[in-house]
Amino acid sequence: MGGYFKVLSAERLKMSRSYIVLLMLVSPLIAILSGLLSNIEGAPMPWSTLLMIMSMMHAMLFMPIMSGIFAAIICRYEHNGGGWKQLLVLPVTRTGVYFAKYTVVIVMLAITQLLLAGSVFLVGWIKGIHAPVEWDIFLRSILGGWVACLPLAALQLAVSMMWSSFAAPLALNVTFTIPNILVVNSSTYGPYYPWAQPLLATLPGNQLDGGGFGALNLPFESLMITVLGSFIVFFIFGWVYFKMKEV
Amino acid sequence: MSELVIQTRDLNKKYGDRYAVRHLNLEIARGEIYGFLGPNGAGKTTTIRMLLGLIRPTMGSIQIFGKDLRKEKMNILRKVGSLVEYPSNYGHLTAVQNLETVRRILDVPKSRIDEVLDIVSLTKDAKRPVKGYSLGMKQRLGIATALLGNPELLILDEPTNGLDPEGIHEIRELIRSMPKQHGITVLVSSHLLSEVEQMAGTVGIIRQGEMVFQDTISNLQQQASAGFRLVVSEPQEALQLVRGQGYIGQMENGGLKLGQISDPEVALLVKRLVDNNHAIYRVEENRRTLEDIFMQVIEQGGFQ
Repeated sequence: MGGYFKVLSAERLKMSRSYIVLLMLVSPLIAILSGLLSNIEGAPMPWSTLLMIMSMMHAMLFMPIMSGIFAAIICRYEHNGGGWKQLLVLPVTRTGVYFAKYTVVIVMLAITQLLLAGSVFLVGWIKGIHAPVEWDIFLRSILGGWVACLPLAALQLAVSMMWSSFAAPLALNVTFTIPNILVVNSSTYGPYYPWAQPLLATLPGNQLDGGGFGALNLPFESLMITVLGSFIVFFIFGWVYFKMKEV
Repeated sequence: MSELVIQTRDLNKKYGDRYAVRHLNLEIARGEIYGFLGPNGAGKTTTIRMLLGLIRPTMGSIQIFGKDLRKEKMNILRKVGSLVEYPSNYGHLTAVQNLETVRRILDVPKSRIDEVLDIVSLTKDAKRPVKGYSLGMKQRLGIATALLGNPELLILDEPTNGLDPEGIHEIRELIRSMPKQHGITVLVSSHLLSEVEQMAGTVGIIRQGEMVFQDTISNLQQQASAGFRLVVSEPQEALQLVRGQGYIGQMENGGLKLGQISDPEVALLVKRLVDNNHAIYRVEENRRTLEDIFMQVIEQGGFQ
């Protein structure tokens, strides 16, 4: 498909930089720290509680911000000194390039998410939790949190392709990530706010003590429908933009 | 007429009300080096971007290798190597890794990387990160990248921009060797005639988006004639005779200064003078340098 796999393979080589790996490690390391400092003695569902504690910052701040950073990095090389031209004069279609770049972004997000899951198991093992893992909650959080990043990643990729500046899309992203803590309180707007979707999908709302609040009480399924809808909108927007882009 | 590698018909690109390229008919034959000339902002890069499918023409058609660019873009791009404006590379990667990112897309054998590095003499520095390269080396890496896919057509936009004389010389020799050694047709753009006149067989001169001259360098040189000077025994009478034949002329330093006339006309005029018993001491052609002609073409939009 328009050289999709070939571009993917080329992109992987461009991404082979150590600082990207370091970026992926930041959030899991902070999660490990907060996990180790937490007290989960006597919690009825120790794994879910630990997951909730450890994924709070990760889902609220780091996943949205990382979506922006990965999208910006993957475009940065091309914005530097005519890289788009060099890439697009090769026998590849715009569609192939766009899909490949998006794939790299979401794979890097998936790796970050898996590292977080690994960190939770690590902390649980250190703390000596003997209870069986609540797999349904666990998988839903990890997988759901990643899926909820897909619309945001598409949006950030589109913005990063439009703006040749590296910092501008990141500034935009952080600006919209900070209000997350307020937005999740609104069950009306929260689900439609792309920066809040990872948090909403990750935290097992109705498992919280005394139930969730605001948008956290929404059923997972209806959240996923909203996520899917916004993904389609942003992805197609970015795709069409890139196809029309004058390079 | 030999086979045309690039042919554009009535190519136009409009930005708002302004035409960046207008009614452009580019014709480049196989195996030649075509110098695409014009001042900065004349539309050279815009044309090249259209040829490479980076931007869409507002109107007109582009045929490369006899195929329509819109319909067979992938097949065409596979056989075209290019360097647009400045060379692009990933600074943290070495020359080999940079070429590898392109090789993975072109799907050529790995050995081709060593071959192109050898062609541009970068083998020695191939394992260093590119961010430490000089401009000339980056430019050569850009050309190596363009050559990677064994192209039949090479499109180079201002390949000597910003290079020192030695770098310019190297790149020029490299380009000159392309048709002979590798059978590649080359389109090279520049804003300096002196840069391409030593390698190009044909030149196209573009001015404010329009092609004002497209022909061989030798035909351009023929345009270099700025008229004739005749030194004869009786200049006054000769001038009368010349004017009587319908030519414009005047006295200058004891000779006759005539405008631009064709070779048969010169012969006829000389015969008439001889028939009227004038002794002809000299027939001189006033020549201008190519650079003068180029400037005239650019300033006036053609030969007057």
